[in-house]
Amino acid sequence: MTPAPPGPPDPKRTIGGEWIRRPDGFWLAVRPEAIPSAAERMLASGARFAALVATPDAKGNVAMSWHWDAGGTLLTLHTTLASGESAPSIAHVYPGADWAERETHDYYAVTFAGRADTTPLVLRADDPPGILLANPGGAR
Amino acid sequence: MSYVIPVGPFHVALEEPYKIEVECEGERVIGAALKVGFNFRGIEWLAQHKNMTQSIALLERVCGICSNVHSMSFCMAIEQIGAIEIPPRAKYVRVVLSELERLHSHLLWAGVAAELMGFQTLFMEAFRLRERVMDVLEAISGNRVNYSMNRIGGVNRGVDRPDEVRAGVREVRDVLRRKLIPVFTTDATVAARCRGVGTLTRADAIAYGVVGPVARASGVDVDLRRDATYLAYGDLDFAVPSRPEGDVLARVTVRALELLESCAIIEQALDRMPGGALHVGDVYSVPPGDAVLRIEAPRGEVFYYVASDGSDTLARVKVRTPSFVNIPSVVAMVKGADLADVPLIQAAVDPCYSCTDR
Repeated sequence: MTPAPPGPPDPKRTIGGEWIRRPDGFWLAVRPEAIPSAAERMLASGARFAALVATPDAKGNVAMSWHWDAGGTLLTLHTTLASGESAPSIAHVYPGADWAERETHDYYAVTFAGRADTTPLVLRADDPPGILLANPGGAR
Repeated sequence: MSYVIPVGPFHVALEEPYKIEVECEGERVIGAALKVGFNFRGIEWLAQHKNMTQSIALLERVCGICSNVHSMSFCMAIEQIGAIEIPPRAKYVRVVLSELERLHSHLLWAGVAAELMGFQTLFMEAFRLRERVMDVLEAISGNRVNYSMNRIGGVNRGVDRPDEVRAGVREVRDVLRRKLIPVFTTDATVAARCRGVGTLTRADAIAYGVVGPVARASGVDVDLRRDATYLAYGDLDFAVPSRPEGDVLARVTVRALELLESCAIIEQALDRMPGGALHVGDVYSVPPGDAVLRIEAPRGEVFYYVASDGSDTLARVKVRTPSFVNIPSVVAMVKGADLADVPLIQAAVDPCYSCTDR
């Protein structure tokens, strides 16, 4: 009998680190610069990019989380951006992240380093970003 | 030499505010750019400035078709933060509503698709059946679109007239088996119009992160009801139809077969529905915490992220709808297509711009 071909690698293992198990899935705290390479490993494992969540605080810091689905299991990478700090883009790895990054820029003025296209998603081209911040168009 | 045809912002085929700029060489599409945001209502911001009870009604209005899914996902996210176990009966009621909503959504889509194929009689039959489903939803909830069934910790009403629901589901299944499904899956005209059109490869489906029937029609066999089961789905028997072709015909077939599965799920849920309480009582706040909650909506995975600071107003509410991740894949689907196929390709995604823009 021919053995079954090996399945895709477990992204938790290839990315490494101490994943925290929660009721909604597995979460891992990472540095922002680690996100693109982790995204490449997610793609290699067949994981689907699900969502990007940005949560700003009153000081201009933004808690960011990137979420993937791997066979029904939620895998989340999260970090916090200091005021004015950019997030790395993963749109070159996952085209599906393009709208999520543009929307996050529109809503919370988070910039994504490495993006070729900075066209707003929801706003008009000359609108100031950060429409859901207390001070749209101001410094984050 | 290429040229660009702008369609929108009021889309003539889909009758919703959305713009696609199609770049063509002759009648062959070589690229496309999408523009959304015309329905932006700031729902996430509003949900962070109303109390949780008020936000249930708000989030039910994210979408005019899958409204129940949104209020249910929102309540379930809060229940997860508060470690609230809802009564078994409430789980079954939520399943019945969710599957009736899937019938409603898929039948609406079937009608739109039939019209775009030029199949007017099929359009009328699909919309007649959709009316029947809405009658059943009205019999349960008193409402035809926004059902107001969900509350934090359970549901507001039970299924008090199950025989009426059974009769409606029997009628829907009968017409599906005799008319709609044979036409959608075996009719030569439908096949000629849809086969090989708007193909999304499995690799592109994963790269774009598409969900629901769009993913399953590209060979990505995912369904949260089975893969990350919730409510009472783990106790019910159902199949998850999928196709490997990735074209419009595959998306038509997957949705058509899903209609029958939803009928079977509803009947099982009615037969096995336990008695008892409908909810745990009034819940106006939960302890600080956050949660991701994912549900298999008619168009695919709905993603909610909710954070509580312990007050009655949530610190963060993030809603990512299935259309938000499915619509961008239209760019890959239309590349190389005939210009005349673009409306049908877009419709086969079953896009909802109200959901997308929120």
